[in-house]
Amino acid sequence: MHIAVLAKVVPDYEVPSADFELTDSRAHSRYTRMIGLYDENAIETGVQLKEACKAKLTIISYGKTEDISVLRKAIAMGGDALHLVMGDSDDPFVIAENLKMAIDGLGDVDLVLAGQQSADMDRGVVHSILAGMLGWQFLPQISRIQSEGDLWMVAQAHENGTRNLQFSGKGVLSITSIPENVPRIPVVRAIFAAKKKPVEKIEGIPGTPMNAKEVSVEIPKMESVCEFLPIEDMAETATTLLSKLREERYL
Amino acid sequence: MKTLIVEVMDTKRIGELVTVGRIFGDTPDILALGTGDVPGTYTKAYFTDTAVGANLIDPLVDLIREGDYQLVLLSATTLGTEIAGPLGVRLGAPVLSEVIGASADMTVTRPIYGGKAVATFTISQAPAILTVRRKYFEPADLAGTTTPVPLTGTGTTITLISEEAAKSEGIPLEDAEVIVSGGRGMGSGENFTLLREMAAILNAAVGASRGAVDEGWAAPTLQIGQTGNIVAPSVYLAVGISGASQHLAGIANAKCVVAVNKDEDANIFKRARFGIVEDYKKVVPALIQALKEEQ
Repeated sequence: MHIAVLAKVVPDYEVPSADFELTDSRAHSRYTRMIGLYDENAIETGVQLKEACKAKLTIISYGKTEDISVLRKAIAMGGDALHLVMGDSDDPFVIAENLKMAIDGLGDVDLVLAGQQSADMDRGVVHSILAGMLGWQFLPQISRIQSEGDLWMVAQAHENGTRNLQFSGKGVLSITSIPENVPRIPVVRAIFAAKKKPVEKIEGIPGTPMNAKEVSVEIPKMESVCEFLPIEDMAETATTLLSKLREERYL
Repeated sequence: MKTLIVEVMDTKRIGELVTVGRIFGDTPDILALGTGDVPGTYTKAYFTDTAVGANLIDPLVDLIREGDYQLVLLSATTLGTEIAGPLGVRLGAPVLSEVIGASADMTVTRPIYGGKAVATFTISQAPAILTVRRKYFEPADLAGTTTPVPLTGTGTTITLISEEAAKSEGIPLEDAEVIVSGGRGMGSGENFTLLREMAAILNAAVGASRGAVDEGWAAPTLQIGQTGNIVAPSVYLAVGISGASQHLAGIANAKCVVAVNKDEDANIFKRARFGIVEDYKKVVPALIQALKEEQ
């Protein structure tokens, strides 16, 4: 079995809103780069599946050469190989086309996992577009995966609870975060070993972008001004808060 | 513009999409997942008892082509996420997700970087597929009902084996006027008992941040934020929540945020109307006591 996990390197997603700046409509380059929030959950899920099914685990990313040092964390977590398709498009169709090229190149991938959405463009559609291009099944927000012969049994975190679903053949699954797939912290030995792993660099293709043009990016203004309540007498603080909420007709 | 809504049989969810559809033109047509009459009046209404969105791609492609629909609207929910991408590939259509603003000239806005920025797009091709973030558009008043005709050509490539509904505790988050929500600062799942006690008196729903859900202290269905529930209560009481932008994206439409956090530099105070910089173990019991005294 061969599992591929898609991982994207993004600007630090924990930068507070008040400190966030744009240059050329994108996050300022001074922010630390890291693997996307949900992508790490997907890598962890992939590693667990690899261990359970004795599978091969390949990490695939679309991005720049500078991303390699960040992506090595995925190898340290348990990935066997790292393939980077080089490109800088933000178009979901172009990215999916490039990822498809890498998957086609591997030839024997059975399952593709990805975080449920990236932590920069927040789209949550690249993996599903990829599935459409591959002609594979796609299911989002998957929290558990089991392989039974040709069948995949998966649990989907749905708005109203959990769905247990089954399909056969190849598939692309987007992974949600659950306590069971909190990313492991790689051991020092694995971090050093990951640094020595060769990386397969693939020249990206221009692809065909979708017919929707980004015309502007703006940082919305946060206009709320917080009124801090005194804390010397907590009973009085509580009463004051409730009074204010009622006075302003929130309660 | 000829528009098709694809949505589960839920009045609020359909109502929000009808509102968006009306921005672009006439009242849209609809494909509803479920049985019975569809809330609202439509020229054409279809239904399917297929519960898995992924099984609808083939018949939807046929329906959109035959009906010459120029716009397909879905909620940014599990269903919308499941359908939008594969449908976009099959139709060669642009896909814009998590839309939070729309205007008649085919301009839409959507958040990026966890809501820290908003991007505006113009769409220059039909059909186009949009998933619309919940709670950003006031649901249209859906007068009357329409008896739908069945969607033909559905198949089963993905089988629904079973479904486990989340345990519902009190008021659903979606409908709550008051939400009491806990984050990693709560310290443990047991400590959520305090929040539930306060919520019961306030007639409020209990929510949680992604951090608290990841710790296993609250069910994933209670998660509030960009990738959880999007809520719009009158009062949102954030307890032990730092206020990551991804969380704030889920409460952007809350009217009044009250933040309780020991860390005076916590980002949540930048979104809050009222703030209390103190250990929640002192604040919440005092609030419960004050509420009890009011009763």
